[in-house]
Amino acid sequence: MELLKKPLRARELVAIVFMIIGLKGGDTTPALFADEAQNALWLSPIISFLVILPPFLTLMYLLKKYKTKNLAELIKHLLGTRVGTILGILLFISAFISMATDMRNIVEEINYLYFPDSPTTVIYAAFLFICLYVANKGLDTIGSLAWAILPVIAVTILSVMFVDLQDSVWQRLFPIFGSGASVVIKDGISLSSVFLEFFLLTIMYQAFQDTRKFRIGIGIGGILSAMLIVSFYAVYTMVFDYNTIDNIAYLYQESTEVIPLGHFFTNISTIFMVGWLFSNFLRFAIFLYIVCWLYGALFQIKRFKGLLVPIGFLAMIISLIPPNFIVNELMVRKTSLHWISPIYLCFPFILWAASYWKERRKQ
Amino acid sequence: MFPWQKNKTEAIEKRKVRKISRNMKDNVAYIEEQYSFGVNFDFESRSLQGPAAKYHLFFYTTTVSTKQLNDDIIKPLLASKKPIPIDRIVTVSSLNSIKNMDDVEKGLNIGSVIIFQDGVAEGFEASIPDFKHRAIEKADNERTVKGPKDSFTESVTTNISMIRKKMPSKDLIVESIDVGVRPVDPVSLVYTRDLVNEKVLENIRNRIKKITVDNIRNVEVLEQFLEERPRSLFPTLLYTERPDNAANYVSEGFVVIMMDNSSSCLIAPMTIWGFFHSPEDIYLRWAFGNFSRIVRAMAYLITLFISAAYIAITNYHSQLVPIDLLLAIAASRERVPLPITFEVLLMEVAFELIREAGVRIPTPLGPTIGIVGALILGQAAVEANIVSPIVVILVALSGLSSFTAANYSINHTLRISRFLFIIAASFFGVLSLLGAITIWLTYVVSLNSFGVSYFSPATPHTKSSDGTYFRKLLKNVKWRPGYLKPKDMDKQ
Repeated sequence: MELLKKPLRARELVAIVFMIIGLKGGDTTPALFADEAQNALWLSPIISFLVILPPFLTLMYLLKKYKTKNLAELIKHLLGTRVGTILGILLFISAFISMATDMRNIVEEINYLYFPDSPTTVIYAAFLFICLYVANKGLDTIGSLAWAILPVIAVTILSVMFVDLQDSVWQRLFPIFGSGASVVIKDGISLSSVFLEFFLLTIMYQAFQDTRKFRIGIGIGGILSAMLIVSFYAVYTMVFDYNTIDNIAYLYQESTEVIPLGHFFTNISTIFMVGWLFSNFLRFAIFLYIVCWLYGALFQIKRFKGLLVPIGFLAMIISLIPPNFIVNELMVRKTSLHWISPIYLCFPFILWAASYWKERRKQ
Repeated sequence: MFPWQKNKTEAIEKRKVRKISRNMKDNVAYIEEQYSFGVNFDFESRSLQGPAAKYHLFFYTTTVSTKQLNDDIIKPLLASKKPIPIDRIVTVSSLNSIKNMDDVEKGLNIGSVIIFQDGVAEGFEASIPDFKHRAIEKADNERTVKGPKDSFTESVTTNISMIRKKMPSKDLIVESIDVGVRPVDPVSLVYTRDLVNEKVLENIRNRIKKITVDNIRNVEVLEQFLEERPRSLFPTLLYTERPDNAANYVSEGFVVIMMDNSSSCLIAPMTIWGFFHSPEDIYLRWAFGNFSRIVRAMAYLITLFISAAYIAITNYHSQLVPIDLLLAIAASRERVPLPITFEVLLMEVAFELIREAGVRIPTPLGPTIGIVGALILGQAAVEANIVSPIVVILVALSGLSSFTAANYSINHTLRISRFLFIIAASFFGVLSLLGAITIWLTYVVSLNSFGVSYFSPATPHTKSSDGTYFRKLLKNVKWRPGYLKPKDMDKQ
């Protein structure tokens, strides 16, 4: 018996969005942007957000129009089962690859920074086990947990900001376009699918108390995340400089590592690992859950929780193929994002066209 | 129904079928045989020859009040000169007519006197119970400095009277449900009629009715039958011995479960916060109550994480420790041969031993434990270089902190969880420690107590007075807890 049916509200979604997107401020994504844009890395995500805004709003408009459907149902409804499933599979594969590469990055980060002597596979397995356990408890628990842990993460973020700003020089933001405006814009567009989770989250459209709460939640969460990412990237630029920044892989940890807090606490980066790890456990638990949900919705598997273990294991095995972090981040991830971006940027418009066509035919 | 229950219910059916006969001799013979009169030394079967009629009384001498029996039953019966019905002679406040032998048994068990009159196919049950129980004493396990001092005792009537005294209202309902068959024990549900959520109440009733066990003597046992997850580390019913606490919860819309023979009651449904809140938080002034909550919150964190964090940091993340402190730790460990994990576990287990011994030890021997604990396990272990002084400090701190818990039920949860975290921290330092915490938290959040999320109102968020972490000024407490869905949310 449950007294409260559908307990999730806007605030849980804000927490979920914050975990899954906002926390890209602290993983290896800044290194990806910094690779070409250099000290303008904080401008690229702004471009990305601006680029994904129209397709995302189109998708939200369609979801609002067809009130009772979530992402997968909407695709199938508008494009028919066959074409819809093909598009769904494309979305699934891109999400899966993106999840796998991201997960490998995080594990490499943990491995390299904190446990250099341990084998990657063991750490990966431990990490995956925790994510699977959390994901297996279902969306209600994940949402509640995200909201419960959010204070810890907020405190971590604020203190990292506080620490980093002590050693930052704002003039380092200049030259403002880094290695050139065209590079920044090109990077921002081609890597916009870094934030593809925005589209994936719409699979939860029906899981909240009412759909209005979903829209409010994803709106607030999205704006907060965007602010966090941009400000974090800007802080990285101000702490490191033009030439250093594209040589550093783990900006979040490095930035906390180089700055002492007073004379007594000289090395405080592990403290900031607490919030960072919490959020990453949750982030991949959510990601895994959504990916499985999408797969389950495509192939009419109602109890898709059974897919968590096989899909998680598969992601682990596949992502262990690249020999090291550099190849994974700068080749596999970057190339895959270049391929994924057009899919995610275009599919809402395809859906919209289909919906328009359907209505025309009705008349 | 299970086959082994069939026999018992059959016996009850048989007794119900057996009606009380007009012939008193038959009745007397049957009852004397059933109750092993003569063997059972406290079972009394007494015939009275009044001036107008012949009577027969049955009772347990150990369970009825002798004075009342003499003054209100025997004297009037012997004095009545005309053959009028018993209910017009006997001057007892509670007198019921009974028709069959099952009623006789029920009456005798609850401390009544059974009265038969010759030639009448009807008996009477005069209730004059005098069961012995402890007097009302001070609360021992949930002490407060400020606030009422009384505690429940092992008599359900006394306990209910204490709650009624605190909440004199016609809406306070005490409902009784039978549980078990050998013998049948009544369970009392206490709730406020115009507040309690019917679904919750129905759920509790159903769970009690579904219990198929032979007998349940007290709420401590009942608790384990009612819980959804009996193996879980987390209690889902609050166990309290304070009537003021119980009354507070009843007035919020919770349900109190009571049984005879228990000097405590259960409160359902319960969220995890209920175990951390002490009734004293409300009795103390705003600032003092909140200060006490902050201290306790710190204590919970210390008891759960300090040993585990020490292991994680010294084993895997020594770069985090400031260099002077690191040298101090290293110097204190210089001559200790054991690995840190083992050292901490050793001391934690030693502390648990002291605690367990402290609970079981007879009071006159109590001080011995202090000497053994403090001197041998602390001082001597350090001097023998078995453990480092820092570990002694940490373990003492975490052990001490575990006893700040406002409720005893959660104390075990904290202590066992601490061991889980220590073991987790020894695998991969902060990574596995945080992983264990994440899994632990996920589990807590996913729990459910009688349909109420275990972590609410924090998450999933429901309307309430926001007294979860810190208490508010009492005049700002406007709502009853929304996760209960009470019939009336408004408190003001």
